[in-house]
Amino acid sequence: MAAVATAGATRPSRGLPDEIAIWEILVHLPPNALLRCRAVCRAWRRATTTRDFLLAHHARQPILLMRHGDQLSLDIISFDHRAAADQLRTVARFGGMSYSLVACCDGLFVLAVNRAHFGISMNMKHFAIYNPATRQYASLSTLSGFRLLGMYHHPATGEYRLLMHHCQWSEPGRQVGSYVFSLGPGQPLRHIGKCLDANELSNISVLFRGCLHWYRMKCRGKSCMIIVLDTIAESFRQMCPPNVSGCVDLFDMDGMLSMSNLNYSVNIIEVWVLQDYESEVWTFMYQIELPFTEIRAQCGYRQSADIWSAVVVPEEGELLVMVRFNEWLIQVDMDGKLVATFHCRGVVPIQFLLKQTLVPHTFFPTLEGYVVNHFPLI
Amino acid sequence: MATREAGKKMIMLKSPDGMEFEVEEAVAMESQTIRKMIEDDCADTAILIPNINSKILSRVIEYCNKHVPTTGATGAAASDTVAPAALAEDLKIWDAEFIKVNRATRFNLIQAASYLNIKGLLDLTSQTTIDTISDNSLEEIRSFLSTKNDYLPEEEQTIRRENQWAFQ
Repeated sequence: MAAVATAGATRPSRGLPDEIAIWEILVHLPPNALLRCRAVCRAWRRATTTRDFLLAHHARQPILLMRHGDQLSLDIISFDHRAAADQLRTVARFGGMSYSLVACCDGLFVLAVNRAHFGISMNMKHFAIYNPATRQYASLSTLSGFRLLGMYHHPATGEYRLLMHHCQWSEPGRQVGSYVFSLGPGQPLRHIGKCLDANELSNISVLFRGCLHWYRMKCRGKSCMIIVLDTIAESFRQMCPPNVSGCVDLFDMDGMLSMSNLNYSVNIIEVWVLQDYESEVWTFMYQIELPFTEIRAQCGYRQSADIWSAVVVPEEGELLVMVRFNEWLIQVDMDGKLVATFHCRGVVPIQFLLKQTLVPHTFFPTLEGYVVNHFPLI
Repeated sequence: MATREAGKKMIMLKSPDGMEFEVEEAVAMESQTIRKMIEDDCADTAILIPNINSKILSRVIEYCNKHVPTTGATGAAASDTVAPAALAEDLKIWDAEFIKVNRATRFNLIQAASYLNIKGLLDLTSQTTIDTISDNSLEEIRSFLSTKNDYLPEEEQTIRRENQWAFQ
């Protein structure tokens, strides 16, 4: 074409100054593209391996939803506005055993690994830590027999810590209760006391103001409650949530502890916010009505009852709702408007949010069975 | 003249090639850099915008004019309930037209948006470049950004091997 030929004949135009290329362009790249760019020139490699740059890069990564593909893979579901064509991507494939995601913090995964022998008990489960962006993987075998309650960053020591729970029946001789495990060389499990109703807590905890928060559903005559661990004092306390009856998730929205309540009978999600954390007074903020007529029109009906669930995701001051409807995944905005749909067979409920990171962690090489891009990753 | 319409303060922006642009203060304040200068009282008469030529500066002003929030002052249009969704859709179409420029202009706009700290313009202008770098080979990236490969071939091979999975 004439226009192309003309353009080709002119001298190549000047590029971008390194400063702009690095801090306005490279800092926004997905992790894999950034790793590739280190091979472009020395200046880029130097700039993109500094801690400051990698922290800035992590902060700018979009929030991604995770789902289990089958038991041997983990997929990322991107609802990033610009990635319409690439919404479902496998980030990890494992060999030999079955894996499930049990915690996610600052781009790091904790996986529960079950040896794939028939009839093995749950107690044989062990844990592993994995960074999908750097493809670093290591075993956490000392934690076998525990249940994982949460993961958090401990700013005073810079450590990543896991809160584990030990039940009476799982290993006689070990004290019942909660333990803190710091990721690093030769760290022992430290008993910190007893967590209230550890077996009834939500699978996901929210780290907010240095405290982990779990939702405990109404059960056995006890009203619903938020259980809180102060990660500095290492003590537990309780907070009162709004009195609702539905499927509740906690999350951090614009620096406020928030709660979504999905009422299945009327297809409505209510969002509550704790504007003043100390006073524990919750404010009702939004009501999002899910557009089921439209969803059914696009995704079709089933003979049997529809299977669906929804999760609220805070992003840049807005809320997105991801609805799983039979074999579809649907993105709905805050006004209850259908934004995007995509079909993926066997979509299972999704809970974990991932913000990828290339920040190096010194604990990885100190752990047992540490590998990079090697089996059991395939 | 300091004011064009009642209640609207005007600001003079000067490009290094000597052109002057009179814009509403609210429009100029779409730039966080200029906003800070105005708020710190460093901007009573005219502001010189270094490194941004008049051609680029006029495009930046065009963008800010379109994106400045329409508040009470414009009267009818703002008080009438123009659906926000329709407004957003209109802006999206306008943005798509605005960004149909050659690569050199786009790079200049990225630099201007970065210096003037205009987030919307920076997002708009840098996104295609981010996409291009995400999707292309090292050679294509180098030629796109006129970046020179200063590695020895074996060094480049080593770096590729370090992050082998990223190249698959």
